[in-house]
Amino acid sequence: MDHNQAFFLGNIRTALGEAPHSERVKSMFPKLFASPDTTEIRQKIAGRTVAEQDELVEIFLKNGNSLNICSHIVASSDAAAAVVVELIRSKEPEFNHTKHVIGHDHPDIAALQLWKRFNREAVTVHTAFNSDRQVQEKTIASFIGITAPTIGVADSATLIQLTEPGRPRSTSLLPSIHIAIMRREHIVADLQEAYTLLRGRAHLDSLVFISGPSKTADIEAHMVHGAHGPREVHLIILAEPSAAGSDAATTEAA
Amino acid sequence: MSGKTVSLFIQCLVDTMFPETGEAMITVFDKLGIPYDYPTGQTCCGQPAFNSGYTRDAAAAARHFIDLFEDTEVIVCPSGSCVHMVRHHYPELFTDDPAMHSRALAIGAKTFEFTQYLVDELNITDVGAEYVGAVTYHDSCHLSRGLGIAAQPRVLLRNIRGLELIEMKDSDTCCGFGGTFSVNYPEISVAMADEKIDNILATGAGTVTGCDISCLMNILGRISRRQKDVKVRHIAQLLAGPTGGKA
Amino acid sequence: MNDYSKEAQKALASPRLQASLHTLQDRFGKGAMALWANMEDQEMRRRVKKSRLKNLEHLDILLAELARNVRARGGKVYFAETAQDAIDYTLKVARDNKVKRVVKGKSMISMEIGIDPALEEDGIEVVETDLGEYIIQLAGDKPSHIIAPCIHMDRKQIGQLFAEKLGMDYTDDPPTLTMAARKELREKLLSADMGLTGCNLACAETGHISLVSNEGNIRMATTMPPVHVALMGMERIVATLEEHRETVQLLTRGAALQKLSTYVSFTGGPSSADDPDGPKEFHLVIIDNGRAKILADPEFREVLACIRCGACLNICPVYGRIGGHAYNSSYCGPIGAVITPLLDGINKHADLCKGETLCGACKDICPVQIDLPRMLAALRQKLAYASDRWDTRQHNPAEAYGFTIWRLIITRKPLYRSLLKIGRLFQRVFIKKNNMISSMAGIASGWTDGRDLPPIAKKTFTELWEEKYRNRQAAAAPETEENQ
Repeated sequence: MDHNQAFFLGNIRTALGEAPHSERVKSMFPKLFASPDTTEIRQKIAGRTVAEQDELVEIFLKNGNSLNICSHIVASSDAAAAVVVELIRSKEPEFNHTKHVIGHDHPDIAALQLWKRFNREAVTVHTAFNSDRQVQEKTIASFIGITAPTIGVADSATLIQLTEPGRPRSTSLLPSIHIAIMRREHIVADLQEAYTLLRGRAHLDSLVFISGPSKTADIEAHMVHGAHGPREVHLIILAEPSAAGSDAATTEAA
Repeated sequence: MSGKTVSLFIQCLVDTMFPETGEAMITVFDKLGIPYDYPTGQTCCGQPAFNSGYTRDAAAAARHFIDLFEDTEVIVCPSGSCVHMVRHHYPELFTDDPAMHSRALAIGAKTFEFTQYLVDELNITDVGAEYVGAVTYHDSCHLSRGLGIAAQPRVLLRNIRGLELIEMKDSDTCCGFGGTFSVNYPEISVAMADEKIDNILATGAGTVTGCDISCLMNILGRISRRQKDVKVRHIAQLLAGPTGGKA
Repeated sequence: MNDYSKEAQKALASPRLQASLHTLQDRFGKGAMALWANMEDQEMRRRVKKSRLKNLEHLDILLAELARNVRARGGKVYFAETAQDAIDYTLKVARDNKVKRVVKGKSMISMEIGIDPALEEDGIEVVETDLGEYIIQLAGDKPSHIIAPCIHMDRKQIGQLFAEKLGMDYTDDPPTLTMAARKELREKLLSADMGLTGCNLACAETGHISLVSNEGNIRMATTMPPVHVALMGMERIVATLEEHRETVQLLTRGAALQKLSTYVSFTGGPSSADDPDGPKEFHLVIIDNGRAKILADPEFREVLACIRCGACLNICPVYGRIGGHAYNSSYCGPIGAVITPLLDGINKHADLCKGETLCGACKDICPVQIDLPRMLAALRQKLAYASDRWDTRQHNPAEAYGFTIWRLIITRKPLYRSLLKIGRLFQRVFIKKNNMISSMAGIASGWTDGRDLPPIAKKTFTELWEEKYRNRQAAAAPETEENQ
């Protein structure tokens, strides 16, 4: 502990009527850091039936819709890929004239096999591999960023994106369009459930909650999307048929 | 009905500038057969000093009030802010004096705002009055936020024969009085009063009423300056009948 | 006339500002009140308030734990007792890294400590990236709302400003203006050497700071530049993630009626070596700058529970008329009226202490139910009687003298009654045909400049009582009973 810190915290202790020089340590105040028992919440999350999961998906879609998250429910990786390909084809780059796309290094994104799907078109697909020194330049050049968030929160239509090797933060930030791919079972009911899952994770260095596209209302309270971050957010929910009972390729829900 | 004798706590502004409000209260009590008396030594509850930070001077006023009213059965006042002062701020003035503190708490417990006393304590919601015309009601801040009184005056008003209650926009927004604030920062105070008056005018009601003469005095003062044709009446006057005399 | 009233008059004379303030308060002030009324978990606000106060009582422990956890990830933590300490440290970080351009995320504490001029003096370009703050910076103006900094400007003014400063064709179309700023700021954000942000809420248990934004500028400023310096008021901390969850939800609800803002980012150190983005250096500057003094006074400690959502601005009838500039402080509205005098001098900001009506709306809307009106009255008490603890002298000796006289009068009934009679005689010359007084001299002119005043009645209630009611009441009480 440096001198500044000792002095600073001593001032606080004086202000609180405590002895300034006798440091108060965490272990003396176990209740201060006590958190409620979350066993029940964990069991509830683990024990959710497919029908209950589908209900949460519905809630997410409804809440996401009012935040301008454009949602698609698909039954397979191929169907998900079709949605992504269509978005890449139909949208135009904002900051340059070439179609670069970058995705996180994630099995659900790899399963899209995007590199195979643009043989004859001028589309370049990148993956943010941990070993690649050019990831940042590629991200800046990309107009679409694809991620696979760890948790979705139905109540607030929130995507929780952890920063991990091969999954840098700029992928969901710099490109004009953010596409998130999420398995149905990763959607939880509310922030209490989400925080419970987060608490259990060992390496929680950097993370972000994303609830919709970037927006501002600073000019005469006029809502505009795309202030700094992505101006569009698309969510593709992967509900595999073992449970979905539907072979419809895509449901446009937004 | 409670057989308690009501000691009238007449706010200084009512005493000096709006005595008809005090008389109206007497009329209502007479109609209802409620016995009352009036400790004539009363002056001011100390609110102006308290709100300006002069707590020691306010405490002197509080002592005077407590000495005067201590032996009463129940105290009723036609002003929410004065009741708020007695109930909530008197005890704060004597945190270092346990004896005075408990006396202040005891006084506070038996001090009621006029409509609160009728509705909550006596379960009277219809005083058998008549007042023909549209009326809008202003929620005074210390009355509504400090004492939680909003429903009581409304139910009494709705039961007045011939009276149509029209709610104004933002009825619980401050009128801009604020005691010495109104004199120290007149531009802001008047702008707030104007907003209130515009909301009153927008209802089309011919009368504005409330439970606190301070706010009503501010509203009246500005309405008079703007030469608008809206009557300003304390709720006791409406409950006593259109002329302030017997219904 | 004092500066507060002068600025207030300017604001009152601006129809544009009045309209904006109305829109703001109608939507967000009323919206928040409705949200609180309809919230399923009615205990939440009380619970968070309790945890805020509990955490303040253990602040030394929480800050030590936060620092430990941040340092364990390789972050640097600096404890700054004064604004100058914080500035000096940040300047040193900037110099060590040869910083030429700083991009800022909206941060009130950066304004409180006055870091922008210090950086600029050092030849560093400072760019505000929140759209509202950016507009303010371009205009060389000051923000006038905690959440909506340029609420006092209309789209035409902003259009002209952009045409002039960014060299674009004039437009007053908000989306076009926003896109122009997006492009301009993207260049700045991608090429900046340092990101400078505040901290909405730190979590001691996990060692994170968290930042909320809707635009994404804060994510940019904490992701792209190689250095991130976060300035944190020492009270902006919770112990556990569980507390964070509830507190951040109250923050975003109070601020903009959102369940969550678009982005809530958690950061707790530099990014790892192989991470293509994220800062390679992370500095957390924890700032006292007068807060320990507030913490020490039980009368005012509660104000440190504030989570800076700005909801009190959205309901305050005074702020709603005069806007933010009159407060002449980084913090405006009811919270500014309490925190500014405490941080920067009660005498210096006497008008902030006295310039409210104590209507209580701010306490009702506050997500953590801070009793601001009580503290305003307490501040006025310091001004009334002077205070050694707060180094405050008597603000207005004439007023104090006046209240001493007032006390002498109101505690002496005969004197009070005689003076009323004398007043009644003297007022005659002022009473107009409409039975109102419409002009008075001295301080009383504050009333009559804009309002009429009813005169002292021909007979006071007390006089009427003696004449009409005292005896009647004694004689007629039983009879009245029968009449019923």
